[in-house]
Amino acid sequence: MTTEAKQPLILVIDDEEALRDGCSQVLSKTGYDVLTAENGNEGIKLAREHLPDMVFVDLKMPNLSGMEIIEILSHDIPDTVLVMITGYASIVSAVEAMKKGAYDYLPKPFSADQLRALTHRGLEHRRLKMETRMLREEKDQMQKNFITFVSHEMRSPLVVIRQYMETLKMIAGDRFEQDVREIIERCSNRVEGLENLVEHWLDISRIENGTFAEKKASLSLSSVLYRSIEEMTPLCRKRGISLKADIPDNLPEILGDEESLVRVFTNIIGNATKYTSSPGVISVGAQHDQYYVIVNISDTGIGISHDKIPFIFEPFFRCKGQDERVRGSGLGLTFCKKIMESHQGDISVSSKEGEGTIFMLKFPVQIQAKKTGPA
Amino acid sequence: MKTKKKLLLVDDDRDFLFATKLILEKAGYEVFMAEDGKTGVEMWKSIMPDLVIIDMMMETWGEGFSVLTKIRATDAGRNTPLFMLSAVDLQGPYNSYEPPPEFPMLNKVLHKPIKADELLGYIAQELKDK
Repeated sequence: MTTEAKQPLILVIDDEEALRDGCSQVLSKTGYDVLTAENGNEGIKLAREHLPDMVFVDLKMPNLSGMEIIEILSHDIPDTVLVMITGYASIVSAVEAMKKGAYDYLPKPFSADQLRALTHRGLEHRRLKMETRMLREEKDQMQKNFITFVSHEMRSPLVVIRQYMETLKMIAGDRFEQDVREIIERCSNRVEGLENLVEHWLDISRIENGTFAEKKASLSLSSVLYRSIEEMTPLCRKRGISLKADIPDNLPEILGDEESLVRVFTNIIGNATKYTSSPGVISVGAQHDQYYVIVNISDTGIGISHDKIPFIFEPFFRCKGQDERVRGSGLGLTFCKKIMESHQGDISVSSKEGEGTIFMLKFPVQIQAKKTGPA
Repeated sequence: MKTKKKLLLVDDDRDFLFATKLILEKAGYEVFMAEDGKTGVEMWKSIMPDLVIIDMMMETWGEGFSVLTKIRATDAGRNTPLFMLSAVDLQGPYNSYEPPPEFPMLNKVLHKPIKADELLGYIAQELKDK
């Protein structure tokens, strides 16, 4: 491509020589470069080769019709502005052409001024379209860069602060009084909370802009659930809550990313521990029918009041827990919901205050391609 | 008197170096620090430490790996315990990094921030027979 400013290139496809010449003359005089073609095949060839800014196509032509040409070009060179030239009687077809991707139509006969005006308008439309796209791409790129930036610039100081606190405990811990040690511990916990918040927020941004890495594969939820239960058992034991499982081994396979699903389940179980007092019970169950696998995670905790239920998947919404020291990032359930959405699944909750809460996660069963041979 | 074991820390975050150095010194090690990969490799050659801890994510992505490769390529470095530190969250833009099959062996990958007792435990384990 040359750097000098290029004249817009217009292609006219029409089987009538007089019309081609007329258009060509008017447009050249206005300062555009013009190509002409007398039939569809030649026109499409020229368009693919020269990528014109704008194409005028006559509707009625032998062989390839204008409608077919519009359809092909709007697919091949979507940035090009396509205009259908029609006779008076074919306004209906003009509308159809616009549905197929034409920008406008030009009824015959038309004057030089009409042609010039439409060309001018079409080119302006193209310019704006390209500009919008460029801006959108720029915005997407900035968003991605921002995520990368945050991930490094915001997390590293937090990591260092925690390392310093670790050092402080190590080199002087036993010389401090109990109160001071507790302050250090609490500071550490709050910094860790902030780290988690940054982490969760990044995850959600990544899910939103499609850069969250998920490796989806066929998997059985029973092993994922057992893994999650195993991870959460120590915490439940510490809190004096029993964690029960009722998971059949023959759950049909789903398409999912094991790591993010483990995070979803441990998140919900972890949440349950915050709102359940000892000796409570958290139960993880699963069942399935032909179409769905449904996972239920229920607790015998304080429950969620009716008016709060609609908001619990919203970012930064928190129910008051019984233990104020256990503060989450406020993004855990938002994360779960986004992950469930990316699995074409669904998460819902029902709760009764004072009795407990049930989270229900619904996954579509993977449709198996028919295997050859006996079933 | 037994001579102190020498440890080399390579990390471009000065605060992280300092914090870790204090932990290691308190535990009785002699600690050397390098703030970039090039200095790290030079110090490796001049000091010949008993163990090296390298940050994976220095200035340029992969610098930690290049230090690792250079140390492993030397005669003395073939069997020196090497730890890699990472604060990279694995969902990030670098999660696609796959070490090549001939990748030099790491003794341990640790995640930042690292608990003092865990770090000292791993180091003691690696150095116990030496």
